[in-house]
Amino acid sequence: MARSVWKGPFVDGYLLGKADAARASGRNEIIKIWSRRSTILPQFVGLTFGVYNGHKFLPVQVTENMVGHKFGEFSPTRTFTGHAADKKAKRG
Amino acid sequence: MARIAGVNIPPNKRVEISLRYIYGIGPAKAAEICQKLSIPAERRTNQLSDEEILRIRELIDREYRVEGDLRREVAMNIKRLMDLGCYRGLRHRRGLPVRGQRTHTNARTRKGKAVAIAGKKKVTK
Repeated sequence: MARSVWKGPFVDGYLLGKADAARASGRNEIIKIWSRRSTILPQFVGLTFGVYNGHKFLPVQVTENMVGHKFGEFSPTRTFTGHAADKKAKRG
Repeated sequence: MARIAGVNIPPNKRVEISLRYIYGIGPAKAAEICQKLSIPAERRTNQLSDEEILRIRELIDREYRVEGDLRREVAMNIKRLMDLGCYRGLRHRRGLPVRGQRTHTNARTRKGKAVAIAGKKKVTK
């Protein structure tokens, strides 16, 4: 079931501060985050986040289309690439 | 014979039923159309007057997205997910279930017909 509109999008609060700081510093540094559950907000567009997948921080360059998705969607946590004999399977 | 929204020629069934042959019109929308144009439920498609057919055609053109347009929209939505590189897009690319279903067994609709594993021994009794 979809989330109630009156609650607004879910974001871990500290991300807003981190994003603001990155904007202010001007350098295009990767912002490391563990909060895969947070919604991508319009004010994150253009920034690069390192989203933790339990192993390392995968760089995610946020574009306009990504708004409304969660950070976790862009940082796969599993590495299965197909069975040895399966020629058809290709890396995604 | 009635031709509505392109190629669809639903035969001598009730209007509400034959409208469902159009891609994008199911039970709910078919009923809605009949109600809006006050077409009686027992009317068959071949008993519709030219004027009624015209009105159905106009209503569908105006208010619903059907056939080619709808297919294109769905394809675009899927393409968006694939280009974005998000999890759902990856699942579409690999032809696996998108919404978290199990793939250990089942998922044959997405994966296609089962393929035998080469070199696997059959159990003999």
